[in-house]
Amino acid sequence: MPPAALKHALKPWSPAARLAASAPIAIYLAAVILPPLAGPPPASELANRLLQPFRPLVGALSLGHGYRFFAPDPGPGHSIRWTIERADGSGLSGSLPDCDTDRPRLLYHRRFMIAEKIAPLVPPADAPAEVRRDARAAWLPLVKGVAGQLLERHAGTRVTLTLVEHYLPGPEELIAVEQGTMADIVTPLGSFALAEGTQP
Amino acid sequence: MSTMSTTSHPVPAVASRGWCAEWLAGWNAFWFTPADPLPLAVVRICTGALLAWSAFVWLLDAPAFFGADAWLRPADVWRMNDQPWQWSWYFAAPEMSRPLALLTLGAAVCLALGLFTPLAAVVSLTGLVSAANRAPLTTFGFDDTLGMLLVPLAVGPAGAVLSLDAMLGRRAPQPSVRANIALRLLQVHLCVVYLFSGCGKLLGASWWEGTALWGAIANVQYRTLDLTGLARHPLVVNALTLVTLWWEVGYAALVWPRLTRPLVLAMAAPVHLGIGLAMGMMEFGLAMLVANLAFVGPETFRAVLAPVMNRFPRSLEPSERLA
Repeated sequence: MPPAALKHALKPWSPAARLAASAPIAIYLAAVILPPLAGPPPASELANRLLQPFRPLVGALSLGHGYRFFAPDPGPGHSIRWTIERADGSGLSGSLPDCDTDRPRLLYHRRFMIAEKIAPLVPPADAPAEVRRDARAAWLPLVKGVAGQLLERHAGTRVTLTLVEHYLPGPEELIAVEQGTMADIVTPLGSFALAEGTQP
Repeated sequence: MSTMSTTSHPVPAVASRGWCAEWLAGWNAFWFTPADPLPLAVVRICTGALLAWSAFVWLLDAPAFFGADAWLRPADVWRMNDQPWQWSWYFAAPEMSRPLALLTLGAAVCLALGLFTPLAAVVSLTGLVSAANRAPLTTFGFDDTLGMLLVPLAVGPAGAVLSLDAMLGRRAPQPSVRANIALRLLQVHLCVVYLFSGCGKLLGASWWEGTALWGAIANVQYRTLDLTGLARHPLVVNALTLVTLWWEVGYAALVWPRLTRPLVLAMAAPVHLGIGLAMGMMEFGLAMLVANLAFVGPETFRAVLAPVMNRFPRSLEPSERLA
């Protein structure tokens, strides 16, 4: 590189240039820091209010993350069992995700997230009726989407879905009994037909 | 810090050394000191490769992720993210899910190779954000981390070295303020990620009790390596849990001093590779390790990559050019 060009390359930025660059840097940092400060709960009202002007940038760059990996406590895993009926009377059943067929592992993990993200929205089957009714508005549309995709994928006419919470044994339990014999918690999600939407 | 070590021309000191002036001088030195683009180039290569793999996996089932009848229907996306801000090119053309995922794959390959790097970085970021915003039901920490990596690559001269652009003479490798800004953005963002991840864990009793890692080990949905034998070694589980917790909590403070940085960075490898191997999230683990490379000094990369760089002299590192 010619010495003149090199000197130019290493020349410090002018105060005006630094000021002009500092503004977007500060805005970006705010868009990085505020989303995890504002959620998931517990989070302050102040953080949520401060976040509001930055929502367009946070959304545009997909920065709205809480970064609460395995927090506050690692919980049980979930899957969605499905049973499909076809027009010819045949049936098919499976699980979402399926570690035997969902390969590569990243594909498995993406499908695993479907069950993991729907599960917190679904109250257990023994929850009060009012709680289950109120929660239904949040999870039912998502479950309908899953049902529709499964029907299309397997050429079915009706699909029945069940959310499975896989029992998470403690160390002592695992030593005492075989893991496969432990009872999972199952919550019916409903039965969905192809044409007319939900038919629970 | 890595980029400080490449300082050739410090920003002029301010006249007054009052408290505000010290802050201003610190801000200027932190963000506007020219830095070697070599670490950014290494991050670019690794990020491009990871995004290419991610895009390939999206492609395997693109209509189910991004199409009109996807797992998450377009009309329901607002339930999981902040519409209308979380835009996606898949909203505009759901029937084009395969070509658009393929475009992301192509951009990611170009990014890894350093071919038309600025454009490749922007298209890669666009593809990643489009996927994450369209299919929030199927994203996880890996996607968050790719976003964190791609923004600085779009900002800085990521193709200045170790790239086809450099070999073709399109980029002039040189220390630059833009390279420093890009690396700083990544460094600060990574500290934010670890800080909130660690603080979130402090809300959980199992992390204080030292049993949280058991929750990951015993979870069959995650398991790719059977470590349930640790049920008979609770103190080992305690130690692994507590080291992970306090490493994350302390990362944002301890990664900056030269004395503690090597220890903090060395810990990142077992933590993230452990998660990758035992819990089947190798891509996530590798992406976090790539982000940690932002704290590795250019002299380290120069030593490791010397055989490659000598073989391709057109992609010479800045110090060579300066000489």
